[in-house]
Amino acid sequence: MKKILIAFTLILAGFTTTYGQAKKPTLMVVPSDVWCNTNGYMMEFDNQGTKIKIPDYKKALQENADLLLVISSINDMMAERGFPLKNMESALKTLASNAAEDNMRASKETGASVAENPIDMLKKVAKADIIIQMTWTVNKTGPKKSVTFILQGLDAYTDKQIAGANGTGAPSFSAEAPVLLKEAVTSHIDNFTGSLQSHFDDMFANGREIIVRIQTWDDWDGDLESEYGDDDDELGTIIEDWLADNTVKGRFSTTDMTETMALFEQVRIDLYNAKGRAQDARRFVKGLSKFLKNEPYNIPNKVVMKGLGRATVILGGK
Amino acid sequence: MKKVIIKAGILTIVFLAFTLTSSAQLSKKRAAQKDTKAWKYEIECVGIGKPGTKVIKVWSYSNKASVAKMQAKKNAVHGIIFKGYTGGGRGCTSQKPLATDPNVEQQKEEFFDNFFNINGGKYMKFVAISGDSTPEVIKVKIKGFKYKVGIVVTVMTNNLRKNLEAAGVVRGLSSGF
Repeated sequence: MKKILIAFTLILAGFTTTYGQAKKPTLMVVPSDVWCNTNGYMMEFDNQGTKIKIPDYKKALQENADLLLVISSINDMMAERGFPLKNMESALKTLASNAAEDNMRASKETGASVAENPIDMLKKVAKADIIIQMTWTVNKTGPKKSVTFILQGLDAYTDKQIAGANGTGAPSFSAEAPVLLKEAVTSHIDNFTGSLQSHFDDMFANGREIIVRIQTWDDWDGDLESEYGDDDDELGTIIEDWLADNTVKGRFSTTDMTETMALFEQVRIDLYNAKGRAQDARRFVKGLSKFLKNEPYNIPNKVVMKGLGRATVILGGK
Repeated sequence: MKKVIIKAGILTIVFLAFTLTSSAQLSKKRAAQKDTKAWKYEIECVGIGKPGTKVIKVWSYSNKASVAKMQAKKNAVHGIIFKGYTGGGRGCTSQKPLATDPNVEQQKEEFFDNFFNINGGKYMKFVAISGDSTPEVIKVKIKGFKYKVGIVVTVMTNNLRKNLEAAGVVRGLSSGF
């Protein structure tokens, strides 16, 4: 009996040790396009006759002290809740210094420079798993001033708003705009973290929501309508069946399916894989990649990831 | 001999006065505990406090105005944990309760019995009566209650939340990561 008890305790201890922590998403506060446009922090490009405006975050961070105050206040309050945020200004500076270092770096033996393909270059942007997008406007009615404040938590992969808080503060005759802004952050942050908490609770209960894309190389001789097995099932259907078997409660939606591509949204994956390791979109899709690589399909493929929540399998080669 | 009798008399009077005061205090506390058990109170936001705090007005009901004053702090903390409040004037926004699971009070009954104990419960650490607050006493005709007393208090919500997270009563934002 004693031996059984010891064995049981050891198994239980092993189980709890193996199941570590889920992958923690990164968060970053970013001013919205509306705020940048209103305050004149936009860059304008001529794209083959069409004028395109994109936000100039660097200029905004260098010139607007109110923006720094709001970002710093939100960062402080989130750090106090055990969830420190990525600081956008630091992320931009790190990107710039990394780029400068990479340009100068050369191999000691051969003089070769660091390999970088066009996709690597495109990926060199400040990014986070959840973007906290904020907007504020200072309203003036005669001598009275008030602040309308909007905070949106946006999932960078599913494009869903997962948290939010907004409202207009009390009008004041005497308070300066920075004081009203600080007050706005203080009054809204609890509701924002409350809705973020609900999102995390849902994630722990129903799994992480990710996006899975399937694409094909143009030199591959097969496609998603190719038939396999005794039942002559199309490859697209086989992939859907694999997803149904491997997602939490079989939850996913097929948003698009053609012979060359498929898009699956609202794919709910377990936070831990069969080995008890924390799982993100890439690890999950690796399972599908192996499944397709093996008998009877023998489809070589390449897995491409984007953060914790988006992964693509490109069929037909590496 | 006469001096001894006088001294003994004085001592007895002092002792009796002390005992009666303590007993009155104790019975007040008991009455407050009884009234508070029903959690009959209302809370409303009265302004934006410093970061990490909430300034609220708590309306407590009791048969005695002094008892209602005594239970104000306790009701305020209870309200922040389990009720929350809707927005109001002066820049107030609605506030959700700290405990998202409404059954947690029953599930952690022992913890909350100790936490809200009128004799030195931990709740006292997270609430203070605002310095410029004068209690507002209103006579009411509600079964079992004669007075409704409103007091402005400041609840240290950040510290309260951290304490509840450490006790495993509510989940923290980074729990599980």
